[in-house]
Amino acid sequence: MRAPAPRIALLLVVLAVAPLFLPSFFLQLLTEIAIIGLFATAFNFLMGFGGMVSFGHAAYFALGAYTAALLVKRMDVPMLLALAVAPLVAAAGALLFGFFIVRLTHTYFAMLSLAFGQIVFTVIFKWKALTGGDDGLLDVWPPGVLRSPVAFYYFALAVVGLCLLALHAIVDSPFGYALKATRENPRRARFIGIDVRRHQLMAFVVSGAFSGVAGGLFAFYNGSVFPDFAYFTKSFEPLVVALLGGIHSFLGPLAGAFGFKVLEWLISRQWPVYWPLFLGAVVIAVIVALPQGFVGLVEGRAWMRRPGKS
Amino acid sequence: MDATAGQKLTPRAEVRSGRRPAALGVAPAEADERLVLHARGLKKHFGGVQAVNGVDLAVAAGELRAIIGPNGAGKTTLFNVLSGDLALDAGRIDLEGQEVSGLPPHQLCRRGMGRTFQITSIFRRLTALDNVQTALLTHHRRHFNIFAPARRLHRDEAQALLERVGLGEQAGKPSGILAHGDQRRLEMALALASAPRLLLLDEPTAGMAPRERHEIMQLVARIARDTGLTIVFTEHDMDVVFAIATRITVLHQGSVIAEGPPAEVRANPEVQRVYLGQPAMPR
Repeated sequence: MRAPAPRIALLLVVLAVAPLFLPSFFLQLLTEIAIIGLFATAFNFLMGFGGMVSFGHAAYFALGAYTAALLVKRMDVPMLLALAVAPLVAAAGALLFGFFIVRLTHTYFAMLSLAFGQIVFTVIFKWKALTGGDDGLLDVWPPGVLRSPVAFYYFALAVVGLCLLALHAIVDSPFGYALKATRENPRRARFIGIDVRRHQLMAFVVSGAFSGVAGGLFAFYNGSVFPDFAYFTKSFEPLVVALLGGIHSFLGPLAGAFGFKVLEWLISRQWPVYWPLFLGAVVIAVIVALPQGFVGLVEGRAWMRRPGKS
Repeated sequence: MDATAGQKLTPRAEVRSGRRPAALGVAPAEADERLVLHARGLKKHFGGVQAVNGVDLAVAAGELRAIIGPNGAGKTTLFNVLSGDLALDAGRIDLEGQEVSGLPPHQLCRRGMGRTFQITSIFRRLTALDNVQTALLTHHRRHFNIFAPARRLHRDEAQALLERVGLGEQAGKPSGILAHGDQRRLEMALALASAPRLLLLDEPTAGMAPRERHEIMQLVARIARDTGLTIVFTEHDMDVVFAIATRITVLHQGSVIAEGPPAEVRANPEVQRVYLGQPAMPR
């Protein structure tokens, strides 16, 4: 779990000087990678560390995105304040839905999270007066200087970086230790005094809140929000990204987001229609040959050992 | 067990449970402060099978109580209802004079009950040290703390606990790769981390070599003596049982058929009858 410090320092330096030599298209790509990486890391906080696979995480991403967009568009709230409120609304949604979802396990957990996700989608889709329905909300651009891709790149990187630090601290906190215990063995966890459901609910809320930050950032990055942010296909994005990168490593989902977006760009440029086919092949290849994900390539030959029981 | 066996079993068992207090001279005490565990009329059935059928159990402070009985006697089910893992059909459980019937496991743990399982139950992908540290963090009620780094908290205490069960050298290893006997010891350390006053051990030596069995049970006895811990355990190895138990309860088809000091239980004709065809009781 310890992050290899020199590598991270090098990465930060590269990211910091990237605007000097990268055209703005790639800065935007990196910005999107950072945002999706945060979303997938928040998602994987539940899956990798809590053993809970949510199929409806787009709901909290969309709650964050729509909260930010609505506050700016309808109430003229400054962008920073809107970004700060986004995770609160997403967390409230996660608390409400999570209360029911954590009562179930495995497939039922996944199905109920999917159902709540579709409820959020339907509300956004149908509530035209508030959300604009299918048309979405347009013209949600950041104010002033942040409008430039370079400035927004630095801004998004800073926010994502802070969120990742916070999530990493939570993973390494007593709460994180107990969360891993509930993942490993819920029954044993109960018998060392952990109220497993309450713990899972709190993890769900934390995950929802950081997904909300990602959603809020994405609204300003994209300049618009649409109902399909909450659609179930969007919920599979962090799942695929986390699987590609490696779910047993904190930085795995970030690596996965990078691989996912770069591959998407490379493939879509040549054969736009075949991207999903190619993605499917990559996912299968990674699951079969690289169960530790992309980070398995970096972290020595750890991928030779299967992550299974004992 | 099929349904007919369950039906046959019920009337006999009821006769026994009705007769037992007088026969064994156990007074049906009201909430007694000296009793660490006091269970009355516990019942649990699975479909037509009455797995636990009106069991009374009174365990005094400092006892090393063995619960024995043939396979299918209801020992594990009894443990599971005592520890809140299974809901009771009927009955009442007092822990240190306070009613705890129906409380979930994590609350029982808070009130001083620890347990281990027949099939080793640990956090397999965490190191031995992290296993115990997590239990200690929870015991000290820090497990909702999201701000402090956990790495150093209660680390020495965890190491000391591992040493006490003989795992000092294994602290840094993922617990899933430890030898079977060491995993049993680790589970014991997990149960001890919450500083229980009552420890339920469900076949603590299951799957161990004979010599190792005696070692681990002597460890249990030593810990009980050092800390004043009360222990209730099940065990198949009669050598082990008669070597360390201070009192023995015999369970048969979901009911208590005998209870007393080891010598008395060994001499009990009904116990001998039930154990016919089972490994002979040691002299």
